Amino acid sequence: MSEPVLSARGVRKRYPSGDTILEVLGGVDLDVAHGESVSIRGESGSGKSTLLNILAGLDAPDAGTVSWDGSPDTGARRRAAYLGMVFQSFYLVPELDALANVLLARRILGRLDGGSRQRAASLLREVGLSGRAHHLPSQLSGGERQRVALARALMNSPRLIVADEPTGNLDEKTGDGVVDLLLGLCASAGTALILVTHNAAHASRAARRLELSAGVLAAR
Amino acid sequence: MPWFLHLALRQLFPTGRRFPFFTVISTVGVTLGVGILIIVMGVMGGFAYEIRHKIVDTEGDVQIKAKGWIDNYQAVLKKVEAVPGVAAATPYASDAVMLKMGDKSIFPMLRGIDLRTVTKVTPLERYMVYGSLQDLDDDSVILSEQLAESLGARPGDQVEIYSPLIVSKLSQDEVYLPREVRIVGILEIGHQQLDTSTVYGTLRLAQDLYGLGSAVHGINVRLAPGLNEDEGAARINKVLPDDIRAFSWEDSFSDFLWVLNLERNMIFFLLLFIVIVAAFSVMSSLLLSVARKTREIGLLGALGGRPLEVAACFCVQGFIIGVIGTGAGLVFGFASLHFRNDIVGWITRVTQRQEVMRRFYQFSELPSHTTGDMVALIVVMTVVISTLAGLLPAWKAARLKPVEALRSE
Repeated sequence: MSEPVLSARGVRKRYPSGDTILEVLGGVDLDVAHGESVSIRGESGSGKSTLLNILAGLDAPDAGTVSWDGSPDTGARRRAAYLGMVFQSFYLVPELDALANVLLARRILGRLDGGSRQRAASLLREVGLSGRAHHLPSQLSGGERQRVALARALMNSPRLIVADEPTGNLDEKTGDGVVDLLLGLCASAGTALILVTHNAAHASRAARRLELSAGVLAAR
Repeated sequence: MPWFLHLALRQLFPTGRRFPFFTVISTVGVTLGVGILIIVMGVMGGFAYEIRHKIVDTEGDVQIKAKGWIDNYQAVLKKVEAVPGVAAATPYASDAVMLKMGDKSIFPMLRGIDLRTVTKVTPLERYMVYGSLQDLDDDSVILSEQLAESLGARPGDQVEIYSPLIVSKLSQDEVYLPREVRIVGILEIGHQQLDTSTVYGTLRLAQDLYGLGSAVHGINVRLAPGLNEDEGAARINKVLPDDIRAFSWEDSFSDFLWVLNLERNMIFFLLLFIVIVAAFSVMSSLLLSVARKTREIGLLGALGGRPLEVAACFCVQGFIIGVIGTGAGLVFGFASLHFRNDIVGWITRVTQRQEVMRRFYQFSELPSHTTGDMVALIVVMTVVISTLAGLLPAWKAARLKPVEALRSE
């Protein structure tokens, strides 16, 4: 049996809150299989983003372990190749046009080659932005920006995409479109997906639905 | 191209947009600093170069001096001229005198020159504005334009020369009358110190005035092109007796040259502060950029960018601003130097101060001389300082943790 794309065991995280210590994650266990889509819902402040940051290697847990494909290496360089990220606020580089923003992921990975530009253009086509490749983020709508971010997340053909409230800044219709794209592209590329969302309809579209409550993940 | 370099270039020169205001301000600051350094150091270098040039023109490459006089100078001349690398040598006698015309007096140095050999060593003919060296005889002198003006004398006028011998003869109860000579030429060397202090006469005239007999005060030597002055002086010293020594012109005027260099170095250091102030402008604009782009920096970390690469992105921006500012500063500086005399001419014409300029500065035209070493020093210092200015912003950017940067408001 192959290793899970992502495996978390006993992940704990505490933050000081005034005079007390707040335990945000109280021992989270999670395995995500190859190509699997998992949604995580939870109240505001339940620790969804904290969990996602730890799973993505951006933050360290106080206790517990996270491994990608059986390896505990979740460092920056491996993250660039292994994992794509989509954020609520898009985070496009304002000085770069849509195509260059998508290519940035490959540049950081250090594997920019002749085919990179074609792949970036192809991804923009897949997210419906072939005519907007040379537009700056300021010239794009919110939905278009998130689709550029989606293409960027897929640029390095990652094994896993983590999406933190990707529709949080979009209207319902545009958000639905982005989730459609996200699920569709991940499914067609065989990429695993962890989708953190408030939206019950969006969460229900994942193959496995989890809820984070009181610092613990549970199936819904 | 590494991603941090690509991003640094894009942040400085965004596609399809005008240059960011802070980039322009920072670059202009560096440009002004480098431009002013080039202009001032070029003009300072020009003054120094001209002064050196005129010292060599009037004193030769090597000066031979004795503790007192050189009695049998003909024999010394023969020995010196036989030294390999010596092109020519000429004797001279020089001391202070008083020149009087009517009720006006001046106290220059009268330099007696050997008309047969002097032009092989010191190209004085080049500086004649009226008359010729060949007009000189034992009853005539050549004055600089400024000295002639001070005396109110013109070519053909008679002046009286009072030599130091008058005083020494008086102490022996002898009367030594002043010598009356005719002005046969006017010269202008273009170096105020020389133009306000030197009168040229024949060697015989000077020997008479100073009571030297057939002795001289020294010998000036011209070396063959390409021979170093110190090497030439060393070769000559080998054939000279111990009480007569040869000095390169740099040794003879070492105190003067030291002061010139000190002035130049001081000016360089003072002007370097313009570049340092410009570097603070670079630093503040990059710090502002780090503050504005906190979330972007977090994104770069999330995408796999390492802290050192994120730091390099900002450090490189300081470097690029330094390089562009330096390039523009070089263009600005050298263009200003090229048109310096037009600019100064225009200013003096407008203010009607052409004569003041000529009198109080040592040259009638603003000289300029830049060396590759000096330009390289300015370029390297500026680029290094600008790059260092990017270090603090780079360090702050590298310290940002992606997760905290992404969360920032």
